[in-house]
Amino acid sequence: MITASIISGLSMGSMYALLALGFHITFIVSRTVNFAQGSAVMVGAVLGYTFCITWGLPWLLAAVLTLTICALYGLAIERFLVRPFHSRGSEAWLLATVAGGLFIDNLVMFTFGKEPRRFTLEAVNHRLELAGTGVDLMQLIIPAVVAIIVISLVLVQRYTHLGKVLAATVQNPSAARMMGVHVNRVVAASFAVSTVLAGIGGLLIAPLVSVHSDMGTLFGLKAFAVAILGGIASANGVVMAGLLFGLAEALIIVYLGSTMAQIVTFSLVIVILAMRPNGLFGSKTLVKV
Amino acid sequence: MTSVTAVTSHRMLVPALMGVLALAGAILSFTLGGYGLLVLTLIALSTVVCCGLNILIGLSGQISFGHVAFYAIGAYISALMMMAGVPLVLGMITAAVATAVVGALLAIPAVRVSGPYLAMVTIAFGFIVHHGLIEWRSVTGGSNGLAGVPMPDTGSLPADTGLALIAIALMVASLAFFHGLAGSGWGRAIRSVKATEIAARSLGFNPVQTKTLAFALSALFAGVAGSLLSPLMMFINPESFPFTQSILFVLAVIVGGAGTVFGPLLGALLIVLVPELLSGMAEMRLLLFAGVLLGVLWIAPTGALGILQKRFARPAKVIPGCQPDTARLKTFLTCDAAAPEGLQVENLGIRFGGVQAAEKVTFTARPGSVTSIIGPNGAGKTTVLNMISGFYAPDSGRIELDGDLAGLPAWKIARAGIGRTYQTTQLFTGLSVLENLLAGMQQGQFGDCWRGPESGQVALAMDLLALVGYRGSIHTPAEDLPHVDRRLVEIARALALKPRVLLLDEPAAGLSRADTDQLAELLKVISGYGIAVILVEHDMTMVMAVSDRILVLDSGQPIAWGEPDSVRSNPDVVRAYLGSTDYQAPPRPEPWNGSRDATLFVKDLVIDYGAAPVVEGVSLVVNPGELIAILGANGAGKSSILQAIAGLHGASGGSIVLNNENIETLDASQIARKGLALVPEGRQVFPELSVRDNLLMGAYTRNDRRGLQQEVDRILTRFPRLKDRIDSPAGLLSGGEQQMVAIGRGLMAKPSILLLDEPSLGLAPAMVAELYDALAALRDEGVTLLLVDQMANLALQVADRAYVLETGRVVHAGDAATLRNDKELEAAYLGENAS
Amino acid sequence: MSLKQKIRRWLIALCAPLMVSLAASPQAAEPLKVGLVAALSGQSAKSGEAITRGLTIAIDEINASGGILGRQVELLRRDDESNPNKGLLAARELVQQEKVAVLFGGLDTPVSLAIVPLANRMKFPFMGVWAAGTPITRNGADENYVFRVSAVDELVDEALVQYGIDRFDMEKPGMILINNPWGESNELGFRKALEARDMEWAGIERFESNDTDVVPQLSRLRDQGADALLMVANVSPSAQVVKSLDRMGWEVPIISHWGPAGGRFSELAGKNADKVHFIQTFTFSEGGTGKGAEVLKSLKAKFPEIQTLADVTPAVGIANAYDAMHLTALAIENAGNTNGAAIRQGYYDIDSYSGLIKDYSSPFSPQQHDAVGPEDYVFTHFVDGRIVPLEF
Repeated sequence: MITASIISGLSMGSMYALLALGFHITFIVSRTVNFAQGSAVMVGAVLGYTFCITWGLPWLLAAVLTLTICALYGLAIERFLVRPFHSRGSEAWLLATVAGGLFIDNLVMFTFGKEPRRFTLEAVNHRLELAGTGVDLMQLIIPAVVAIIVISLVLVQRYTHLGKVLAATVQNPSAARMMGVHVNRVVAASFAVSTVLAGIGGLLIAPLVSVHSDMGTLFGLKAFAVAILGGIASANGVVMAGLLFGLAEALIIVYLGSTMAQIVTFSLVIVILAMRPNGLFGSKTLVKV
Repeated sequence: MTSVTAVTSHRMLVPALMGVLALAGAILSFTLGGYGLLVLTLIALSTVVCCGLNILIGLSGQISFGHVAFYAIGAYISALMMMAGVPLVLGMITAAVATAVVGALLAIPAVRVSGPYLAMVTIAFGFIVHHGLIEWRSVTGGSNGLAGVPMPDTGSLPADTGLALIAIALMVASLAFFHGLAGSGWGRAIRSVKATEIAARSLGFNPVQTKTLAFALSALFAGVAGSLLSPLMMFINPESFPFTQSILFVLAVIVGGAGTVFGPLLGALLIVLVPELLSGMAEMRLLLFAGVLLGVLWIAPTGALGILQKRFARPAKVIPGCQPDTARLKTFLTCDAAAPEGLQVENLGIRFGGVQAAEKVTFTARPGSVTSIIGPNGAGKTTVLNMISGFYAPDSGRIELDGDLAGLPAWKIARAGIGRTYQTTQLFTGLSVLENLLAGMQQGQFGDCWRGPESGQVALAMDLLALVGYRGSIHTPAEDLPHVDRRLVEIARALALKPRVLLLDEPAAGLSRADTDQLAELLKVISGYGIAVILVEHDMTMVMAVSDRILVLDSGQPIAWGEPDSVRSNPDVVRAYLGSTDYQAPPRPEPWNGSRDATLFVKDLVIDYGAAPVVEGVSLVVNPGELIAILGANGAGKSSILQAIAGLHGASGGSIVLNNENIETLDASQIARKGLALVPEGRQVFPELSVRDNLLMGAYTRNDRRGLQQEVDRILTRFPRLKDRIDSPAGLLSGGEQQMVAIGRGLMAKPSILLLDEPSLGLAPAMVAELYDALAALRDEGVTLLLVDQMANLALQVADRAYVLETGRVVHAGDAATLRNDKELEAAYLGENAS
Repeated sequence: MSLKQKIRRWLIALCAPLMVSLAASPQAAEPLKVGLVAALSGQSAKSGEAITRGLTIAIDEINASGGILGRQVELLRRDDESNPNKGLLAARELVQQEKVAVLFGGLDTPVSLAIVPLANRMKFPFMGVWAAGTPITRNGADENYVFRVSAVDELVDEALVQYGIDRFDMEKPGMILINNPWGESNELGFRKALEARDMEWAGIERFESNDTDVVPQLSRLRDQGADALLMVANVSPSAQVVKSLDRMGWEVPIISHWGPAGGRFSELAGKNADKVHFIQTFTFSEGGTGKGAEVLKSLKAKFPEIQTLADVTPAVGIANAYDAMHLTALAIENAGNTNGAAIRQGYYDIDSYSGLIKDYSSPFSPQQHDAVGPEDYVFTHFVDGRIVPLEF
């Protein structure tokens, strides 16, 4: 049972890490996040279902279409829910993204339907025996895909021109402007990347849960907790925190039951932040007087 | 928020509106039917919650996405008590006390964090309470909640009407409380910390206390409101308090107008009434409601009431007199406490990472004297001030004033009698000038939560303002003050603390000559009251004129200590300021004689940062292939000119023409694309990118990406030191090497002109020489350069022509060879008396 | 009702003290309003949709045959967001502002429990068509205005336990319950039913509707020797239980409340969906005859999005609402007016009605406010995506 829980915890944990990376990416370039990241998860799953099952497109094409639309969705969030407020120095982007999420959730309810649907591909719908316990193939695919994504993000960041530009903008936005970088476009792109990550999350998690209009809310919140716990400005921290959070949650369910899971994990969040106000892996910034 | 000040000055308007509100509420309570009454009561209760949240958001500048938890705790407490037969009033009181305690407990983690971290702590708290209510079944009835909460006994009145009246009374009371709180000692303490925590600490306020207070108060409001909800609904369960409700509360405060008295009422109308108006939309309601919320946010992102007040509120104009009551000031400012030696600093030292920012700093500031700390940029002057005022804990040494203060927190040091001002003024925005002073007079105490200022305090504040020479209205919000007035009010505020020692960090920066001269007079008057004044300043005329003793620092080390005359003639000091005259740059083989078709042409440039101009009517010309230097003392406006040219902030007047094209309205990234590269002050390399990637970033605007490797190689030939470091992160390089990276990065863009801002700043002499050799080489290759350097002697070594700036104006222009031997230049740096 | 009308109504309400009463006498042609307060958005939106469909079909039939008391029936719906506060507010609005004759309730027991005291105090009939919480109808009021055409948790739990014993020789069941009010109330029901039989249980495990993995809870039940599972959860979490069982490779009989009927359970739960035996008050069947076929035809005509049987879930919601509306029409006709007390008496006076669920005869009495009882429960399971009654 412990093995099964550890596998389950790691697969959920890598899921949280993926979504939390979305928070991380927009935060480092703009100090803003899409608070309705959970809705983007849902949008990914719902679009995937629509393209793959309803329209019967091949899964690869469906995935590409889904993620393209997710990217556009991210651009729209940045353009209409974040920039109008952030550029005027207002913190209301936070509320605007929440309201935007509420709007999208309800819109999907009317278009996609009110019923939970199952979205899985026969190819991955397998049960495996592993270390004396049964696991879903999907539970192994999720961490694998997330690992690939994290590694490719690292590679993109280290070895491509695009990654360098992004890193430069994060490290010194005003110097980046002096080099001719359109910082606004980088911010918009970061929101697109963020929702694409959430969309991938939606496609990955769909086979394990059911697809419906408010499937994402709790995922989004937990992912935010993970991002904060890891120290939102630290990519490594966010990924580590995601895995830890997933494992902690799984073990709490084993020992205390799932009804206590939220109480205990969120209490841990508070205690950890009280002790490390910049997250587990965040670093303190020196305030210059 | 400006709105608080605006409202507090409307003395009668707010009480009148409260009266109207109470009356209207009472009439409606008796006339509305059951449903209308319920809606009315819910609006009143939501207003109470939002009013509490307004203390947290509007006054204290924190946020909570878990306030519905306090609402729920209040509701459950009163429900349980009423079901046990306890009267409602006792339930309300218990709920108030309990939620205030829980709020204060939540503040323990909450005050340690800010921004998204704070949001998370409160969200987590909300979830814990929600699930706690579900799991603690024996008490809370689990998710099926508590049914059959009795209605309160309201005598002859129907219970619905009774509850509505209680809720209305509570609403008016909380709005009135908020109004009183904002203008009281508590309110000023809380608002000061919100405006700038740094300045609040140096006035003796302990941010942990004010933030905890705000949390507890706002929790209490939510708890009391909740305690009325359960008898009103007669049934509660955890789903009655969904997470989204917390967000709606925050939204109500924000769109209503955070910090305004009536904003929460407006917000409560939005979140209670609009869903009711939309109720006929059935399943479409939430969709439409979300749409409405977005619309409201777009229209009024900073709050509806705030916008209205800014437009219509006209605070009364009260101007302090020209002459202060000196007797009263003397009584107030003269200190009787025993510290006849004043402030004694011994062997103070601190390291940041590997850098020794200050070492063995020793001096005495006697009461009634002015002691100045001077030194070139980066010498560690502000670091010393920060240690004395408690922002940095020194690694070694003592700070004696009636006992050792070294390492104490800023607010304790302030209470010990050390006041200060800042390089960039740190007035409390959102507070009026008067309130800024009153906050200072509190000396870190909270006072009460109800009364406004006493007349004696106001009179004293007027005296202090008259003393510093402030001639504006005392009700003007601090953020609307012009630059000079900010400096003056900040000094007055520091004096309101009744300090024994006053630390001033570059008070003359950005002031005109005339203002600076008046400031010098003021400092003498202040020290005349027996205060030990410590001055950090770049304006040498002023320093030389007012100082009794001067301490000179260079790279964190004291290099001279004594009276102005002895310091001025000290050769070490001259070298530290003007740079060594030993260095000889390779001269141009033959004088420049190129095209007069200017690469860069600046005409009548004016720059201001919202207040007095920093640069006034500067014109300059850079021809192709020339190396032009802009010289001048710190704060003269040199860097501002370069930044305006590069588009980092807009000019407020004049034109900038690059290659016959106007660029003054373009953004930095667009200007970069037009072929202008800036090597900014402080290098600003990308610290985690390798040297190679930094260089490649320089070529970002270039379309021809082929042959970049050869370009990089060419840069490496120019700066051979970088060869070995090509793949290390630029942040790990020494200052000189980083400067080379920054220049190389600028060259990679193949710019038509390269701007260099203080390239020699903070570099070792050998490194400076190497760097200037490289600049000379660039010049000889025909690169067009515009150079700003404080080290005038150095810059004149390589420049063809130079402009000398003083307080934002060009005072000399001419060829470098002539200026090199000009005594007046030295005067501009070391004060007029130098020559 | 349009937004403009709402605003006008509000203005009128607010100006009430200033206005001389202009009592407009209700005209004979004015429609007779009935209200529905249910979860129309969020996780339980599907239930609100089903109730809406059932009521709409019944109202169309009633209006086609001349309405009630000669007046056309109009349905006003309000979203309670599963929040009792919102439910109570909406109930007040419908009853006091819109003057609905009867109020129908939705899925959530807590929302209904919040409305019950109001109904009894203000004497308006409140008809439950879904929420199965026992205390809704058994609320202890002297004059009880709350009626129900739906299952009752306590009776269902009794039936589930008995079925387990009869069918699977269940000796030591384990409970796997959703952590919400519904699960909580059934926990009490199961305890009562098991205690009455002197049976012990292996354990009580609860889980959250968002849990992706229920293996830990199920493993505990298995380790504690459960020989059957008593399951209470909505369709999607029920599917999670089945999937987790698959993953564990544990084959155990599952006896379930009607949760799986709330949606496409067989799609969600996969190949082992048919192993779940669950209770129903009604199922539609393709190619059937009689009332069920007629209503299905009307549904397909009225709601073009319905194409197959899989689209008319949850059938119980539709059927309960349909029958409740017809019973209510009879009650109002019996009363002869829309006075709450008279309608209450009208419910008692209903003689017989041939409905979708069954042929009712004297369905309500002062002692019996539940029209549907254990004798009407059928056990079913999924076969090829359709709900099929189990032969036993």
